[in-house]
Parts: sequence; structure tokens; C-alpha cells
Amino acid sequence: MMWTAARALMARDLRLLWRRRGDALQPALFALLVVVLFALALGGEAQALAKVAAAVLWLAVLLAGLLALDTLFRGDADDGSLEQWMLAPVPLSWLVLVRTFMHWATTALPLLVATPFLAELLHLPHDELPVLLASLALGTPLLSLLGAVVAALTVGMRRSGILVALLALPLYVPILVFAAGSVAAAAQGLDPTGALLLLGAGLVLALVLAPLAAAAAIRIALD
Amino acid sequence: MSYEGYVIAAYGVFMVVMLWDFFAPRIQVRQQLRAARMRAARNEKGKATGPRPPEAPLPRG
Amino acid sequence: MNPIVRWFHQLGSPPYFERFAARWAPIAYGIGLLVMAYGLYGALFVVPADYQQGDSFRILYIHVPSAWMSMAVFGLMAVYAAIALVWRIKLCEILAMACAPIGAAFTLITLATGSIWGKPMWGTWWDWDPRLTTELILLFLYLGVIGLYNAIDDRRNAARAAGLLAIVGVALLPVIHYSVTWWNSLHQGQTIRLFGQSHMDPSMLPPLWAMVIGTHVWFVGSLLARARADNLRRESGKDWVARLAEPRT
Repeated sequence: MMWTAARALMARDLRLLWRRRGDALQPALFALLVVVLFALALGGEAQALAKVAAAVLWLAVLLAGLLALDTLFRGDADDGSLEQWMLAPVPLSWLVLVRTFMHWATTALPLLVATPFLAELLHLPHDELPVLLASLALGTPLLSLLGAVVAALTVGMRRSGILVALLALPLYVPILVFAAGSVAAAAQGLDPTGALLLLGAGLVLALVLAPLAAAAAIRIALD
Repeated sequence: MSYEGYVIAAYGVFMVVMLWDFFAPRIQVRQQLRAARMRAARNEKGKATGPRPPEAPLPRG
Repeated sequence: MNPIVRWFHQLGSPPYFERFAARWAPIAYGIGLLVMAYGLYGALFVVPADYQQGDSFRILYIHVPSAWMSMAVFGLMAVYAAIALVWRIKLCEILAMACAPIGAAFTLITLATGSIWGKPMWGTWWDWDPRLTTELILLFLYLGVIGLYNAIDDRRNAARAAGLLAIVGVALLPVIHYSVTWWNSLHQGQTIRLFGQSHMDPSMLPPLWAMVIGTHVWFVGSLLARARADNLRRESGKDWVARLAEPRT
């Protein structure tokens, strides 16, 4: 039952995404713009950029994901599907988990693919790229899961744009610290595994707890 | 230094984008004509079966 | 009425434009292709390798015409958009919006070939040089016009909104270029003059002119083809489209 529901939800999300496939590019374009703005603000000099490249890339991905968070539940909240979710025979947290996974796959995964190109623009040293990608692979699902909780809390609100950011960013701080820190450690020749493992542990915890919290938040918001 | 790879890559990018520029509008035109054909077929079918008189019961089953 | 003026008015009629575009787009594509083929052949096999840059110099024959097209198309798009906004001519709305994807394609070619050319020449895939940076921002402007046009459901309002964006963009483009140039001059020390004064020997010019003309003619073909598709889409409910789409018996 849970798997059929999951498959149905994923198929629906993919179909909806295909109909608006231009929109799927927007987070990647936003990240590219953030990179451009940072490069322009920092002066465009290769050495200066290389020093901060990993941090800027992480920020670009994080901010793009934050903007994309609005689309996590908004479509379904607007047309009433969210209330149907609450009445479904499958646990609401399961549906939230599937939805969050699809959202991550369609917004964060393109960003991950784009990261090597963006890294070239910022002259990121090549040996930092693997650790950066690993930290992104572990960190972005975490961001999506925590973001889902915040998005669920604000799902009923009309103009929740900045509020979502204000609520989510403090929660994002530890993820950013460990992720960007792992790359910085690798750059200095230290072992990044510790930070990456912590991210992994956080991800496992979030996979279990975040959907539950988000489901509770949806019930509160839509009551 | 051999520049061959770079020249091939650059010309390759050019060819690919030009090919897209050629085929994309053709596909769009074809899709529009197809949609118009299907719409016309639907309208014909509607005209053939005609409007249902208001007192007739709704089709069930 | 002057025949030229009458022809302009006729073009504004959707069925007439459909026939016009269906006839002339393939011709323009064909001529453009032939001229470009001549140019590319010359660029690859006739022109001698540059004494300084070797064979990578041949990339210029794609990069420069594409760069010029990326700018020219944006200007043309803004002109069509301005006419559409002021005189509310539907055909100009269609033509303006049809320019956007083609211009974006040329901008993409410019950026990609510039990057590919830069790597063997200056050791880096990318540099925040004023021209490359402005070209990248130009790409964003194009994508913005395309995105806005696709985001609004009503085609006329969408075209007018995106057209206004194009006009704002064309007004700001010189400002953007100037600002990036000024910013770059602050960092004079490390500036890599990516497209420095490389004098072209006259024998190297004919393929370049061929490519410039070829891309322009190809552009006309693509513009007509895309405008045709948009025209059909806008008129989709009409009888003449249904008749056109009928399977030929």
C-alpha cells in the first residue's frame, strides 16, 4: 500500500514537472547567478576566487534550495490535494517523505550536476571538488528535509517568503558549517571524514524525524 | 600543443546548437498542426452525435 | 496604397503569414546553410594556421559571428517589442518572442566557444573579463525573456510583458557592459586581455564574412519557422488552422 502510494505520487510529480520543465532549470540558473554576483563583488581575480570558491558554491546551492522550497507544498496546498493527503490511508509522514525526495531530486540534483561547471567559474582547486560534491550529496537532502518542516509550518500563509528564510536559515547553520568545513579541512590537508560522517548521521536522523515533524506541522497549518 | 580537440569541440558545439535551432521549430509546428487536427476531429464527433436534449436522462454506467 | 505598405499589412494576417513563413523559412535555412558551409570549409581547410595561436584560431570563425549575432538579435528583439508595444501589432509580438531562443542559442555558442578557445590559449576555461561577463549576463537576459513569456498564460499579455523586459534589457545592456569594463579596470594587474589586438591578415577574412552573412540568413529562416509555430499556436482555435491541418486526401 505504501509503495503503491509512493509510486503514484512520484509518477504524478514527474508528470507535473515535465509539463513545466522550463521551471526545473530555475534553481540551477539562480545558483549560477549567485556565483556571478559573488565573482563580480569579489573582483574576479582567480586566486581570490579560488580561496572562497567552495564556500560560495555551498551558499549558491543553499540559497537556490531555499527559494525552491516554496514549490514543495504550495501547488498541492492551493488545489486542495494536501487535505486529501491528510485523509489518505497511508501515513502523512510517508507522503511528505516521498514528496520531499522528489523535490530534492528535481531541484537539488540538477544543482549537484551543475556544480563542477560552477566550480570552474570560481576556479575551485580540482582536488577540492570530490569533497565538495560529497558534502553536497549529504547536505542537500538534509536541507530539503529540514526545509520541508519549515515549509509545512508556513503552508497556509499567503506571503511567507522571507519568513520561510528566517525560519529555515538558523536550522541550516550546522549543515553549512559541517559541509563547508569539511571542504575547508580537506583544503588544509586535514581529514574531512569526520565532518562528512556527522552530516551522514544527521541525514539518517532527519530521514526518520523530519517527515513526522512536517506531517504534524501540516495538520496544524491546515486545521 | 595540439589544438585539434579544442577546434573539434568548438565546431561540435556549433553544429549541435544549429541542429537544435533547425529541428525545434519544426517539431513545434508539427505539434500545433497535430493538435489542430485532433481538435477538429473532436468537434466533428461532437457535431455528429449532436447535443443531448435537456429532458433526456444522463447516461449512466 | 503603396505595394510595400500593402505587403506589410498582408503579413499581419495570420493565414498569409503562415503561407509566407512556410515558403520562405526553408529557403532561408538552405541559403544560410550553404553560405555557412562555405565559410566553415574556408575556416577549417583554406585559411592557414595563425602564427601565434595555431589551429585554435579557427574557432574565431564561429565565435565572432555568434557574438555579433547574440548582440544583433537582442537589438532586433527589442525593436520588434517596441513596435508591438506602441502599435500593438500582433505579428511584431510574435517576431520579438521568436528572436529570443535564437539569440540565446547564439549567446550560448559564443560563451562555449569562447571558453573552449580560452583554455589552450590562456590556460583557463573561464575568466571574469568584461566581454565574457557581459555575454553571460546577456544570456540571463535572454533566458529571462523566454521564461517570462512562458510563465504567463495569455499569449498577448505574455508577449507584451516579455517585450517590455527586452526593451529594459537593451537599454541596460550598455550600462552593464560599461560597469563591468570599469570594474575590470580596477583589477588591471591580473587582467588577461582575452581578445587582444590580433590583426587579421586579409586572406583570412572571406570565411569570416561568409560566416557573418550565413548566420544572419540562417537566423531569418529560424525566425520565420519559430514565428510560424507561435502564429499557429495563437490561432489554434480558428477554422483556417483546422483546414490547414486536415490530412491531405
